[in-house]
Amino acid sequence: MTFLFWILATLSVIGGLGMLLSRKAVHSALWLALTMMCLAVLYVAQSAVFLGTVQVIVYTGAVMMLFLFVLMLIGVSAADSLRESIRGQRPVAVLVAVALGATLIAAVGNALDFSVGLQAANAEYGGNVQGLAALMFGRYLIAFEATAALLITAALGATILAHRERLFPRQDQRTRSVERFRSGVHPGQRPSPGVYARHNAVDVPALLPDGSAVPDSIPGPLRARGTVREIDATATEEVLDRLVGGAASDTGGER
Amino acid sequence: MNAAWPIVALGGLAFAFAAFSVVIAAFTGPKRFNRAKVAAYECGIEPTPQPIGGGRFPVKYYLVAMMFIIFDIELVFLYPWAVAFDQLGLFGFIAMMLFLINLIVPYLYEWRRGGLEWD
Amino acid sequence: MTPISVVDIDYVALAPVIIVLVAAVIGVLLEAFLPEAARRSGQLLLTGSAVALAFLTVLIVAASRPFGPIAGGSLMLDGPGLFLQGLILLTSGTAILIMADRRVDPGGDAFAGRVSTLPGGEEEREVSRRGLMQTEVWPLMLFCIGGLLLFVTSNDLLTLFIALEILSLPLYLLVGMARRRRLLSQEAALKYFLMGALASAILLFGSALAYAYAGTIEFAGIAERISERTTANTLVIAAVALILVGLLFKIGAVPFGQWVPDVYQGAPTPVTGFMAAAVKVAAVGALLRVLYVPFGGMRWEWEPVLWIVASLTMLIGSLVALAQSDIKRMLAYSSIANAGFILIGVAAADQVGLSSVLFYLLAYSVATLAAFGIVTMVRVPTGEATSLEQWAGIGRRSPLLATAFSLILLSFAGIPLTAGFIAKFGVFTAAITAGALPLVIVGIVASAIAAALYVRIIVRMYFTDPVSASAGVASPSPLTVAGVGLGVALTVILGVFPQPVLNLVEQTSIFVR
Repeated sequence: MTFLFWILATLSVIGGLGMLLSRKAVHSALWLALTMMCLAVLYVAQSAVFLGTVQVIVYTGAVMMLFLFVLMLIGVSAADSLRESIRGQRPVAVLVAVALGATLIAAVGNALDFSVGLQAANAEYGGNVQGLAALMFGRYLIAFEATAALLITAALGATILAHRERLFPRQDQRTRSVERFRSGVHPGQRPSPGVYARHNAVDVPALLPDGSAVPDSIPGPLRARGTVREIDATATEEVLDRLVGGAASDTGGER
Repeated sequence: MNAAWPIVALGGLAFAFAAFSVVIAAFTGPKRFNRAKVAAYECGIEPTPQPIGGGRFPVKYYLVAMMFIIFDIELVFLYPWAVAFDQLGLFGFIAMMLFLINLIVPYLYEWRRGGLEWD
Repeated sequence: MTPISVVDIDYVALAPVIIVLVAAVIGVLLEAFLPEAARRSGQLLLTGSAVALAFLTVLIVAASRPFGPIAGGSLMLDGPGLFLQGLILLTSGTAILIMADRRVDPGGDAFAGRVSTLPGGEEEREVSRRGLMQTEVWPLMLFCIGGLLLFVTSNDLLTLFIALEILSLPLYLLVGMARRRRLLSQEAALKYFLMGALASAILLFGSALAYAYAGTIEFAGIAERISERTTANTLVIAAVALILVGLLFKIGAVPFGQWVPDVYQGAPTPVTGFMAAAVKVAAVGALLRVLYVPFGGMRWEWEPVLWIVASLTMLIGSLVALAQSDIKRMLAYSSIANAGFILIGVAAADQVGLSSVLFYLLAYSVATLAAFGIVTMVRVPTGEATSLEQWAGIGRRSPLLATAFSLILLSFAGIPLTAGFIAKFGVFTAAITAGALPLVIVGIVASAIAAALYVRIIVRMYFTDPVSASAGVASPSPLTVAGVGLGVALTVILGVFPQPVLNLVEQTSIFVR
């Protein structure tokens, strides 16, 4: 018994120190899990089987997971500043904490030199957990049932705060393409600009089969800057002449 | 203390399995390391150390976490009820069912409001 | 091996709590299954009828049931408990009337349409364009009221703690749900939640120490153990100290009431009224029971602490209220000062003290509800006109509203012919007979300071010229008129004909141990 205590006590203090001294928040949480596990075993060793089980299920299971979730949600990292905004708060807090801790430890340590009735309480209904069931469904039935109200409030509150109802219709591929066609804008790709040998540039518009220019084919930034070049009609003629020997052709512009 | 021995044995087995898996892999696994093999996903680009949003998760996860906590706490109450089921009888059964029905209510609420949908 | 015995429950005696909590669960189901358009009316009907029915049930229980422990001893049915339950339901009903108003704010009721939307975002605009309302407010209110009802009747430290949590959790949510100035409201909720969680933990630690000392958490058992003691025991003193901290936090007494101004200012105004009235009533009720029943035998230990806390609360509450420029913060500090006056009666620690506290709670809670109800009506286009400067000249534009507000302020100041005078007179008399003369002197000084403050506001309402940014008075719906009217009427009636109620509190003011 004493052997078990010294091993677990050492481990849980190591866990506590590890939690405080870790640079990364997630590592702190894992150290804390070690401390909680050690406490659970200590509880079981003190014949508080239920408390030990609950310590594992609720603390190392649920509460630990909530810690990790919160760390992920708010994104705590080692780079965050740990400076307080209130000057001198830390020494005062340490002083008060030490004073309160000393008082309470003295008070509890002074008074708790005995323990009575543990064996009797555990044996009365045939076990620790059964004894608890007897209290939960007997004397403290109201407290037990009222806990449901607490849990409902918690779920309701989480939903109110974190769940966003869909206010606008869902945007999927279909609705987006329907919208695009309805809007009247040219739905497909725009023609690429006419990059000619003479100019070799994207600032010259593409030409339609009838020889007219397509202003949309030039990238927006160039249009906005106003550096669009006009098509030199004589140059087009010249190119056509060279290609087909002066005959009229259906090739409007080269792409 | 006798009742705790199976738990201790189970814990020992779990630890032994974990330790065994880690150690045996180091001995039996093929070791043909090269630079490309140890690169992330063996292809693509290296992930940046700070993902977009500073490593934060969407708040939607919080809902899941809360639901988990609620049903986890429910478990705490189910445990003594189940152990002492024979001694508690019909009264205990009714009391527990009342509690469980109450806890289905927020579940229904969240379901109807679309809190369980993920998109 | 003892077979497990089934607990015997008197369902009639428990009916007020059951009605409110079952209605709350049904309210959650309505939220799940009713279409958006029908939710508000459905919830209002359910909430209103549940509170009214519970109030009637309290009357029936008071008339027909023998006093004593109920529900296996978890709860105690006695005079103060029933009186406080009735008072909680009365004030909650009034708060619900003010809360249900959707006419003073053109956008809807006092709560954000959808709390999950970002303040100032596109979704928020869409919500207010569609006129959506967050109707989960009503089940939350019912859960909170159920917790309050349990809180004042709980007969052991565990039930006390669970009741405290049931009433606190919905409050943390409600505080952060204001429609206007949402960031302020959310900050208030976070502040209240963090400090409230700490206070709950302290109360729980105190309960654990009390169990370590007495071997039981039942009030009667602890009282018995304390009466047997021969020497001072540090364990039980630490227990009482920690439990006191937890309860004084909810009351808002001075070293522990730092949260009050920020939270009262940030919360939606009807919720502020509800907190200042019903929640304070329940917290004082629980404090009374805890100090008188389990720890009554330690009177000489806790009385000096209560003297110091009461004096500080009265003086600091009144003095800081003088310096406020925001009407909600001013009322918050005024509620702190009032908590101090209530603690004078608690410190008297006898039957006269108990009955004077019960009367004070009635007089104070109805008046403060009406005060916050009036604050919701005085508005500028962006929301409530909380700056005191904007109240200049209200008395000329809306004489009826200004008269009602003046009456309430006079009652807070303790001017004769208002309920506040009888209440203050009661607690001072009780304290003098219990030998707490210094406390009464501090109380009179604090009253004088507070009176100066209230007169200054009345002067501003009537005798100051309106400034350009002055507020207008929104035309309220009959609901708010009924709520505020009830508060003002009771303030006057209790001031002029207090005798029937004084008789009632005198008859009821005995805790069954």
